[in-house]
Amino acid sequence: MNLTEDKIGAIMKAAERIRKDCIWMSTRAGTGHLGPALSIADILATLYVGVMKVDPKNPKWPDRDRLILSKGHGCLALYSILSQVGFFDRKYLGDFCTKCDTLLPGHPELKLPGVEANTGSLGHGIAIGMGMALAAKLDGKQYRVFVVTGDGELQEGSNWEAAMAAAHHKLDNLVVIVDRNRLQLGDLTENISKLEPLEEKWKSFGWRVKSINGHDIKELLSTLNDVPFSIGKPSAIIANTVKGKGLKIAENKVEWHYKVLTKEQYEGLKEELALEELGNERI
Amino acid sequence: MREFKKSTRTSFAEAILEVGSENKDVVTVAADSASRYGDFVKKFPERCFNVGIAEQTMIGVAAGLALCGKIPVVTSYANFLAFRAIEQVRVDIATADLNVKMVGTDTGFSSAWLGFTHLALEDVAAIRSIPNIVIIDPADATEAYLATKAMFEYKGPVYMRLRGRKDEPVLFGGDYVFRIGEGKVLKEGHDVLIISSGSAIYESLIAWEILRQKGISATVVNMATIRPLDEALLLEITSSVRSVVTVEHHNITGGLGSAVAELLAEKRPNVRLLRMGVKDTFGTAGSEEMLKAHFGLDAKAIAERVEVFLKNDCENEVS
Repeated sequence: MNLTEDKIGAIMKAAERIRKDCIWMSTRAGTGHLGPALSIADILATLYVGVMKVDPKNPKWPDRDRLILSKGHGCLALYSILSQVGFFDRKYLGDFCTKCDTLLPGHPELKLPGVEANTGSLGHGIAIGMGMALAAKLDGKQYRVFVVTGDGELQEGSNWEAAMAAAHHKLDNLVVIVDRNRLQLGDLTENISKLEPLEEKWKSFGWRVKSINGHDIKELLSTLNDVPFSIGKPSAIIANTVKGKGLKIAENKVEWHYKVLTKEQYEGLKEELALEELGNERI
Repeated sequence: MREFKKSTRTSFAEAILEVGSENKDVVTVAADSASRYGDFVKKFPERCFNVGIAEQTMIGVAAGLALCGKIPVVTSYANFLAFRAIEQVRVDIATADLNVKMVGTDTGFSSAWLGFTHLALEDVAAIRSIPNIVIIDPADATEAYLATKAMFEYKGPVYMRLRGRKDEPVLFGGDYVFRIGEGKVLKEGHDVLIISSGSAIYESLIAWEILRQKGISATVVNMATIRPLDEALLLEITSSVRSVVTVEHHNITGGLGSAVAELLAEKRPNVRLLRMGVKDTFGTAGSEEMLKAHFGLDAKAIAERVEVFLKNDCENEVS
């Protein structure tokens, strides 16, 4: 065992915990974007456990790395990892979409410690991240800004405005991670409005791009620790993922964009997936 | 009224330079609109970020900067800020209560020949539909200067209306005081209350003089802050003056007239109201003077309609 192996083990454990939390929260609430959360579990676990400099006890620490979940509907996974690393007590996970004015609504809001921007409407995150990256350069700070986007989300034109401007401003402290699960709400991305050739698109906008397996922790860790890929250029990582990853009945199924387990299904899977008691108030 | 002329844009640029010289956190974000910041760009290039013709990105970038403690000011043609980027204004700025100053130019008829795409006659309505944004519509260069400084003293999102490049009559002198949320009584009278803002103030003041010569005594209030509306001032005046006219170089729907109507309908149901503005139609191309006449919003038209409104005491004129 060396340090990297220890780290990979810790990340895998956190990712596993994310998946269980996502399934637990969404089943209890009877709502949530489960598929899009499960596809980013490994990405977020790697970032928060293995890559980002954050201080959960001081969430507004000025020098922290920032993460913007531009695909805000994937917030189940964000809530889990933020609670795991200590931004807030895990007892709040039970509030996901079960209480009016909850800190854990169906899209993330700044009122929850650890959330860096209000997101939910797609195509906003890269520009906000760009603003943060500009602020870092202006202040001579070393922090990085990570923006996780969906792949279908890239059909929003605002992403490409921001991509063009970020490259122009040479923001090598800005990293976009595309959750390339190939599915969007209604169908495959390639059946709705083609994204490919996606790597070439980012390249032509002036970004350095790497395409990786978004579920391979080792690859995620080495890639994310390698940014910026070029000095003076923003980095894009196309993380090839499986929507619903880890929940067999949801994997690669378009309808699981916004679908959750029934309580009966949950009970049926509880033993196999070592899930928590659904009736528990907290986990 | 003073004789010299100056554009609201010029005094905005002067104020930005002063505010930015005093506070290093002030940054500007432009969507190919950097010239509106004047000398600030030359003096503080490191604090000027131009994102290209991309208003949505301009707002998003401003949000990111504000989330890192900067105080960004953004500017664009009012329509492109208030409409094209309205979702970013709502989601990125307003709900997050970010300290971003948004400045829309070419409001009212000031973009003249550029036509309806550029004439900003619905921007206040759009921004007013979003909670938590202060809305300021300065009457002249003096007020634009003071309002620019005031909006940086206020912490939170602000939308300010400016006009085109053209120099306009300067109405207020160096002793003029501007405070966010305070309406100003410019003329006192007892027959009718005229509430106006922005470029419509100049026309309202000339209308006041025309009315005076006809024996009609009007109060003119400069409601430079459209939100929060100075309700206390309006309720005080309407406790004695029962005929109210709003004048705006904006659609009568959603702007100053609507804000006043909402207040009076609830608190002063016995007051008669006439809203003067663009009557729920689009702008068109013309010189500023042509457009004011075309839409019945120059001084002469204002005075005539106020006179008729007061004569038809029993008739509820609404159009």
